[in-house]
Amino acid sequence: MIIENAMIVSNVEIAIGIWQMTLLAPEVSSHYKGPGQFINILSADSWEHPVRRPMSIANVNGENINIIYKIFGNVTQQLSQKVPGDSLNILGPLGNVFTGWKTKRTVLLGGGVGLAPILNLYESCPNSTLIIGARTADEHFMEHEPGKNIFLTTDDGSLGVAGNVLTVLENLDFNDQIIIYACGPKPMLKAIQHFAAKNSVKAQLSVESYMGCGLGLCQGCVIERQNEQMKKHSYHEKYTLVCMDGPVYWSNEVCFG
Amino acid sequence: MRFALADLSIQIGHIRFNNPVFVASGTFGYGTENKELVDVSKLGAIVTKSITLNPREGNPPPRLVETPSGMINSIGLANIGVDKYISDMLPVYEGIGTPIIMNIAGSSMDEYISVLEKIESVSSAIVGYEINISCPNVKEGGMQFGIDCSMTESLTSALRKRTEKLLIMKLSPNVTDISSIATSAENGGADAVSAINTVVGMSIDHKTAKSNIYTTFGGLSGPAIKPIGLACVHKVFHSITIPIIGIGGIVNTGDVVEYILAGAKAVQVGTANFRDPGICVKILNNLDLYINKHNITLNNLIGSVKQYD
Repeated sequence: MIIENAMIVSNVEIAIGIWQMTLLAPEVSSHYKGPGQFINILSADSWEHPVRRPMSIANVNGENINIIYKIFGNVTQQLSQKVPGDSLNILGPLGNVFTGWKTKRTVLLGGGVGLAPILNLYESCPNSTLIIGARTADEHFMEHEPGKNIFLTTDDGSLGVAGNVLTVLENLDFNDQIIIYACGPKPMLKAIQHFAAKNSVKAQLSVESYMGCGLGLCQGCVIERQNEQMKKHSYHEKYTLVCMDGPVYWSNEVCFG
Repeated sequence: MRFALADLSIQIGHIRFNNPVFVASGTFGYGTENKELVDVSKLGAIVTKSITLNPREGNPPPRLVETPSGMINSIGLANIGVDKYISDMLPVYEGIGTPIIMNIAGSSMDEYISVLEKIESVSSAIVGYEINISCPNVKEGGMQFGIDCSMTESLTSALRKRTEKLLIMKLSPNVTDISSIATSAENGGADAVSAINTVVGMSIDHKTAKSNIYTTFGGLSGPAIKPIGLACVHKVFHSITIPIIGIGGIVNTGDVVEYILAGAKAVQVGTANFRDPGICVKILNNLDLYINKHNITLNNLIGSVKQYD
């Protein structure tokens, strides 16, 4: 991985509170391995916010890296105020990648801020069924096109299918040739994990976690493994580092508590 | 105009370090993970993460949260245990080119002694031990030693009897009188003390009414604790004669100089490594310029903060 001062090429609001930023990052982009990877960004030089924020890569095009972020707190607010020509210090590319999508039929699910890696994967496998969930129509920036297997859901029914991504998922026909790929909030991933187990479908989940460094140094980003054979005294058998081992896991590898 | 490289070397006990900027325990792994991003041979020393007798998985998540100008962690001393440390890590240290100080944590006198004796029984490149008697996040973190003068002294002297290597006691700020604990470490035969470990802290999400840390309390670090670290170092400076290694919120060369003015002979950089693993090398380059520009020596700076009349 590399630390690089990337130059902001564009930074636009693509839905209410959801922004897309394009960064010119020749070094980091040259090490990019594929959909699923992320970068850790610094929104400012000051130490008011000492910790980098993980951002999934939404697209790499030549030397350009795209990220999609939701205004959530001070850091994302600062990020939205940046203009083309500003620089952004980034560390990356970090983490592993989605696998198996080249040979299987795929269903892709994204919710909340978990859109970026799913849209990234969608570009690589455009014949997928794509299901994107949000609370309201305002937070969507794509078109609901069931004829093209693109389904949008809203909690309030203001656009697409009323409900969440599971509402659509449960009405799809599944066979063993299909793999689910998903990224989103923990309750969504937990529901997909349950669905995959119940229907004997394979699923890869991109997990979000607080992260101190992204380099395996702080040991802060762990989630629990599904591991019944754990020894009484062990290390990295009960927990896995999201920054190094993840963020992508098979649904039967991890526990969501 | 070009300056000659300043002499940044310092002596602690019988060990000469090339410079006074070390990386703090728990912020640089076992010392070898960062080779891709940093020239570790430039560092004054690497203090490893805490090693315990048995492997430890650490605490359940969430383990970490950012706070204003700082962060709270409660990792829970996750580590591979001393046996695996000896078999897997010690060989890697041969030829690393940086002095390695091994940090040891324990829940009893016997555990500290066992870990130290296991390391002493093999040949290694480790130059010394930093004894963690101040981890606020686990019951077994040795905190009962770090808050009690007589336990600090007896643990220090028990370890002193068993090693010729550098022996550094790491002090907690979460005590009534840090000077008396430091004095106990000196009386027990420590070569130096390091101060401070993290400050007990708590973070709550008002929207969910939940603690942001699984263990409720965690250790606050980063620039937020620098004033506490400076005060502790300065208090300790007046009560002991052995060197002090200053820790707490160091992110730039100015911070290093401030710690030295407060009484530190060397420093450790912690949380800042998470943001930029190369930050110590940058700090060192600027420290070199600072020493040259002001035509001073590090030794003359120690504890020389000017007071008001």
